[in-house]
Amino acid sequence: MRALDSMTSVGGPLQLRVLVVEDDDVAAEHVQDALAEIGHEVVVVGDGDAALDQGARGGFDVLIIDRMLPGLDGLSLLSALRARGVDAPALFVTAMGAVSDRVAGLEAGGDDYLVKPFALAELKARVQALGRRSLNTRPATLLQFRDLTVDRVLREARRGERRLDLLPLEFRLLEYLMLAMGQTVTRKMLLEQVWGFRFDPHTNIVETHISRLRAKLDQGDAEPIIRTIRGAGYLVGG
Amino acid sequence: MILQALIMILAFSVAGLLTQAAITELTDVAVRREVIGEANSLVEEWRKKGAAHLPLTIQKRTRLWRGFEYNIATPTGGWIAGDRRLVLSAPGWRTVQADKTVKILTYTQRLPDGTWLSVGQDLAVERRQLDAVARSLWISGGAGVLIALGASYLLARRTWRRIDQLAQTAAKVSSGNLNVRAPVRQTRETDEVDDLARAFNGMLDRVGRLVAQVRQVTTDVAHDMRTPLTRVRHRLERLEEAAKGDPALSAGVRRIDADLSEILRTFDAMLQLAEIESADRDMVGADLAEIAGRVGEAYRPDIECSGRRLILNLRPAPVAGEVELLSQMVANLLENALRHTPVGATMTLSVDQGGGRSRLVLSDDGPGVPAHLRAAALAPFGRLEASRNKPGSGLGLSIVAAVAARHGAKLDLGDARPGLIVSAVFPVHAEKAVIA
Repeated sequence: MRALDSMTSVGGPLQLRVLVVEDDDVAAEHVQDALAEIGHEVVVVGDGDAALDQGARGGFDVLIIDRMLPGLDGLSLLSALRARGVDAPALFVTAMGAVSDRVAGLEAGGDDYLVKPFALAELKARVQALGRRSLNTRPATLLQFRDLTVDRVLREARRGERRLDLLPLEFRLLEYLMLAMGQTVTRKMLLEQVWGFRFDPHTNIVETHISRLRAKLDQGDAEPIIRTIRGAGYLVGG
Repeated sequence: MILQALIMILAFSVAGLLTQAAITELTDVAVRREVIGEANSLVEEWRKKGAAHLPLTIQKRTRLWRGFEYNIATPTGGWIAGDRRLVLSAPGWRTVQADKTVKILTYTQRLPDGTWLSVGQDLAVERRQLDAVARSLWISGGAGVLIALGASYLLARRTWRRIDQLAQTAAKVSSGNLNVRAPVRQTRETDEVDDLARAFNGMLDRVGRLVAQVRQVTTDVAHDMRTPLTRVRHRLERLEEAAKGDPALSAGVRRIDADLSEILRTFDAMLQLAEIESADRDMVGADLAEIAGRVGEAYRPDIECSGRRLILNLRPAPVAGEVELLSQMVANLLENALRHTPVGATMTLSVDQGGGRSRLVLSDDGPGVPAHLRAAALAPFGRLEASRNKPGSGLGLSIVAAVAARHGAKLDLGDARPGLIVSAVFPVHAEKAVIA
């Protein structure tokens, strides 16, 4: 039952303290509004040096850092914060979308990377995912929602007593959605995390896989396990 | 090197043969002179001591072996004395084939009493001399050739090694590393190879500056366009939220957002193309079959829902590469096939290896691309006229081509009879392509 205990903190609304380091006022305002709407507390800083002071004081659950900043640049800022023991998850927001840029961001201690122009819904989902990670680090081995059980050790899913016949990829997709229970997961996040695709396919591969998974999962239920959040992504629970 | 040796051997052979011919000629003249001298001395004997004495002189001279053969014959050609092989009855020079191996050069003259005197010399002697000359010519010639080749090899080896270094530098540059430079000797005396290396390095400096400029421009453009586009996108998002109660307005906003996404896709593809072409990163070992399988399975439901079929035919094949770019390459190929084949088409994605190469092949049984349009299909924005009204940035196959070039792979579009077959053949670098 320990696994079930550790699961309880997975769902539910998160209230995070978020530091936004962004020199473009309009963009910063949009981000601040969007995050405040879902209950987060946001502190905006316009340049790298001020962000180092602010961030080093600690108390933030998530850092959102633009890579191009006046003063200290984003990469150096995060390296400096990491050197001072700040371990809050960090999301880089950048106009530079090349693979090498992302690798540099991850090497500097970044946890996620979002290329402009991103959708606010995308940003919100990423912040939720990072916040969840910072609050709940122990991964549960058994995930449950209604009568759906996902056993991450045996790699099998059941509805009640009935074992679901899932392909390995469908299991991974379901597992990822269940781990994020209560939070919206975007199409892009699924592409990155489940398929390892950093590019944007021109087809509906996520939608088609989700609908196949649903067909196996729901089998005539009135209320589907996986809900579609229009313009944002998918959601289990919440 | 081999050509050089052949030319040298040919030159020596010609010189040797000419020398041998000259010596043969000289020896022949000398032999004839000796034979005439011997004949004259016998005529002199005949005059002094008479016809009866000549056979005795001949016998004596034969016994003493002066290197000549003699014969005296009657006016009608009957043997009187001397070598029976030289019974001759006509004046002048001839070569008598005495037996299978012995040739005698003979001079015959009529003595005043009508008898025939023949004096000859066995050419075997001459031939032995000539053979000795030929042998020494060949030996000295062969030694000469070897010494000359050895010396030129030793002298040229250093130059070759330097040219080889230059070639290796060029190879590294073509595989995307612009930071290498060809070695230039720091000595006071420099030669053409140093000039070549310096010119090559100068060119690399210039290319490096241009690439850096392109990167800078790309980054600047990306930044200057993406920041305002972010605002547009966020405003649209908020507008859509505000328009929730108004279906017409919110549908309109969504349409704008879709158009914007299309623009951004093309924009991203252009930037990515520039990035792939100018990148210089290290490659890691990967399995082409794993990549193709993962991407293929990702697209399978989409392909099947559209009424087409996908067959995967994958065998492990190592590549040295960037997994993300290779994944995208496979994805773009599948999307391209999805876009340009009719419903009911079958796509076959295969990976295999052989002969030090790893091959990725996608074939379909759609309408294909005519041979004269295949190069255009790979060029940026090179959409064939017939497909211009279909969605897509027109950069998909260009990105495939760029990724292939980035990995040193040979990309080919061909006729699958019917349909299009696209193959990418990757070199396997043993030291890098260890499957992790």
